Amino acid sequence: MTIAPVPPTDADQPAAPSRRSAAGTRWLAVLRTPVGAGAGLLLTVVLLLAVFGPVFWSDAADTVDTTAAMQGASGEHWVGTDALGRDLFARVLVATRLSIGLALLATLIAVVLGLLLGTAPLLLGRRAGRLVTAAVDIAVAFPGLLLALFFAVVFGVGATGAVLAIGFAGAPSFARLSHTLAAGIADRDFVSAARIAGVGRVRVLVRHVLPNIGEPLVVNATIGAGGALLAFTGLSFLGLGVQAPSYDWGRLLQDGLSGIYIHPEAALAPGVAIVVAGLAFNLFGEAVAKGIGLTAAVNGAYPVRSGPRADTVPAPVTDDGTPATDPGPAAGRPVLDVQDLSVTFPGPGGLVRPVRGVSFRIGRGEAVGVVGESGSGKSLTALAIARLVEQPGEVTADRLEFQGTDLLTGSERSHRRLLGTAFAMVFQDPMTSFNPTRRIGRQLAEVAEEHQGMNRRQAMGRAVDRLRAVRVPAAERRAHQYPHEFSGGMRQRAMIGMGLMGEPTLIVADEPTTALDVTVQRQVLDLLAAVRAADGVALLLISHDVAVVGQVCDRVLVMYAGRVVEDLPAAELGTAARHPYTRALVAAVPDMHVDLDSPLPVIPGRPVDPAHQPPGCAYAPRCPLASARCTVEDPALADDGTGWRVACWHAGEVADLAVPGAAPVAVSLGERA
Amino acid sequence: MSELRFDDVSVRYGSRRRAMTAVDRVSLTVPDGAVVGLVGESGSGKSTLARAAVGLTPLSGGRILLDGEPIRHGSGPRPVQMVFQDPYSSLDPRMTIGESIAEAVPRGTGSADRRREVARLLELVELDPARAGAHPGQLSGGQRQRVALARALAARPAVVVADEITSALDVSIQGTVLNLVRRLQRELGTSMLFISHNLAVVRYVASEIAVMYLGRIVEHGPAEQVLADPQHPYTRDLLAAVPDSAHARPAATAADPAPTAVAAAEPADPHAPPPGCRYHPRCPVGPLVHPEREVCRTTEPTADHRHATACHFAPARAPLARLTD
Repeated sequence: MTIAPVPPTDADQPAAPSRRSAAGTRWLAVLRTPVGAGAGLLLTVVLLLAVFGPVFWSDAADTVDTTAAMQGASGEHWVGTDALGRDLFARVLVATRLSIGLALLATLIAVVLGLLLGTAPLLLGRRAGRLVTAAVDIAVAFPGLLLALFFAVVFGVGATGAVLAIGFAGAPSFARLSHTLAAGIADRDFVSAARIAGVGRVRVLVRHVLPNIGEPLVVNATIGAGGALLAFTGLSFLGLGVQAPSYDWGRLLQDGLSGIYIHPEAALAPGVAIVVAGLAFNLFGEAVAKGIGLTAAVNGAYPVRSGPRADTVPAPVTDDGTPATDPGPAAGRPVLDVQDLSVTFPGPGGLVRPVRGVSFRIGRGEAVGVVGESGSGKSLTALAIARLVEQPGEVTADRLEFQGTDLLTGSERSHRRLLGTAFAMVFQDPMTSFNPTRRIGRQLAEVAEEHQGMNRRQAMGRAVDRLRAVRVPAAERRAHQYPHEFSGGMRQRAMIGMGLMGEPTLIVADEPTTALDVTVQRQVLDLLAAVRAADGVALLLISHDVAVVGQVCDRVLVMYAGRVVEDLPAAELGTAARHPYTRALVAAVPDMHVDLDSPLPVIPGRPVDPAHQPPGCAYAPRCPLASARCTVEDPALADDGTGWRVACWHAGEVADLAVPGAAPVAVSLGERA
Repeated sequence: MSELRFDDVSVRYGSRRRAMTAVDRVSLTVPDGAVVGLVGESGSGKSTLARAAVGLTPLSGGRILLDGEPIRHGSGPRPVQMVFQDPYSSLDPRMTIGESIAEAVPRGTGSADRRREVARLLELVELDPARAGAHPGQLSGGQRQRVALARALAARPAVVVADEITSALDVSIQGTVLNLVRRLQRELGTSMLFISHNLAVVRYVASEIAVMYLGRIVEHGPAEQVLADPQHPYTRDLLAAVPDSAHARPAATAADPAPTAVAAAEPADPHAPPPGCRYHPRCPVGPLVHPEREVCRTTEPTADHRHATACHFAPARAPLARLTD
């Protein structure tokens, strides 16, 4: 199971640099990689030669000197001379313009024709579009070289024929590419929105589709130019391309080949030129493709921001003030004991800590919920506990004990065994948590084979038994079905069943019902409650839905900006919460009793960007109770003696709405989320 | 503003043998100035109905009428506008929000007027007009959804279709968008089809509620009636499933055979809807619990109760005239 460390996603996406500069930065970043820089330099040299080569060396290349014909390399003629005594080095340099120029011309024809064919289905509508697509599909299957030879015959032997031939031969693959890219964009909602807004097909194509497929097309065209160059020199070499007295590298290669045993330099020089130019185009295209893909992924996780570098790997205290040292209550020996857990990722502007010093305990059979907005670090906390945070993410903690075993030290192997049998994890998306190519029963049985040493049959028997335990009807039959034959709710049950293959003492469920319909959600929650009651399994339920957590759990941890800000009994969530954030979060959820005549309560401002934690309490900028102290000192998560923990300087106070600036609505229009 | 009427509308996807009827002979009216909430689970055909209303999905039967006239999707902004679920894909990442909104402003508006109109619309959705030059990447999810709303309003629509517009947002932001929708609807008197799977959200916004199951409307009536006195067992199921932190749900009693049988039932496959009443394989008052109720397996119920509900065994009351006619 691979989990990409991409915690903050949707609602709190902070401001990114504007598009134009972002695109510019990306291209610049490509040039900063060694391959990108080398390829860029090479390409620049080749293009400069193409422009200026004939200007400087034209005379030398055309000077006939019959006394010096067919000479080898010398100080005067670096790679010798041809049959008429013309300097071959100069000729190779001069030939750059024709070779590159014709290759680019052919690429241009291929790209333009390809774009026309590829985007035609969008303009023509369904029926005609399908015809075009089918024609392109057939053309793609047709061998390119054969097509080129065919066109060479049709257009006559010569440069014109060859350019058209290579251009036409390259068009189908570009058509296919641009069709695929354009179809992907045309499916997006913004294109639908534009159509509803009355934007015509041509304008949709020009304004919405083309700009969004431009980058990959340019990259592919660059690589395509390299291919066209090779194809063109090939044709010239065969005598189907450039004809005397004009010459390109292919032609020079052919001329040089006749005397290869006498002086090989004459053939080698244009050969080297072809290889260098081809490499320049291909490498540059590849480097850009890789660079754009790579930086896009990094940008997705954490937006590029300049800012003060965060401290290196955290000592638990440092920048967030007083640490939360009190791990909170737990009946008897805790199943899970976490103290000062932090997760760190390298960001473009320094280290980013989406989880900052989280401490809590879970007792045997206890159900603990974790709530918070997206980006609050709740899912990452769960992944850190399961040891599923991957490089470059780093997990640190003062204590991370599961059933008394320290997960921070000791061998990876023994931890895997422990976690494999006594720990179960249920993920949000039941579509992706199973391998689609294997039967459900086998996937469950694998766990028992791997961790409990059962043989195939015993394991399968246990799998069926567990599927029955999670109330999958006709378990015997369904164990032999594939994941796609299960509905979302059934798949989530099977996932819980997989967790029950061992003898778990803790189930961590990360948004287990978010992807499900309400009626199915209730079934899955009831199942989790039943499993808990039957086997005394502890539950850590992570959800953005306060109502769900309140319904299932005994205790609730409220997370904000990577910290636990309140730890309270679930029963008190709706009535007696002390942290202003908890209260605001509960109030923001509309339920079936909300007053229809007043506006819904909202939390002003936006969640904290993990790369930019404010000093003091992270909630202070949005908090109606915030005082001067809140913006300076971060409150510790303190126990009040009853096991109720809260991190707030003003815990339990009620906002005085008469004070201007303190009311939750007093926020400038532009700043509203 | 105007009345939007779905008249016996069907939408089928695919061809012949693998065809799937996403919307099956639905008749529904969005009265002038009213907000009709459409609820149902995924696969029930809510979004397909929305896309059909704005002309993104061709009908395979029936008509959609605006003020009694078939909607013409000619050039220029369409009279029915839509706000999409995901504000991250509904705005072109390469266009400024001002350009996106301006695109929907009716043609023939001068560029200065257009700019003024964009500023007015941004102000209307409580965004700073100075941010018209911002790209969507610079906005939060809630702000993007406001922009999407402004774009829909820019076209001066007769009806707005809102398809799950808050389900991609955090709860803390959901409230601001819902408040805005309600304020705008009251100020402008826009007719609205508001689609959501969340009954609490629909209750807050809608004046009428229609419940959809497997491509059919199974219950429809004034919001308070449907919520306080649900007639169809599916509506009752939906209501019972709403998690409620303030009011603990009564535990299912073991003596009652209905919940266990029903709890084990799987959602039906939209590709192969069951015969008779489509809800019968999951229904707590149907043949699953009452084996003698064969009629549910064979005959599709029609709506003829107080507020329209399509169930053979809706609580027996004197059938009144349909309020929705």
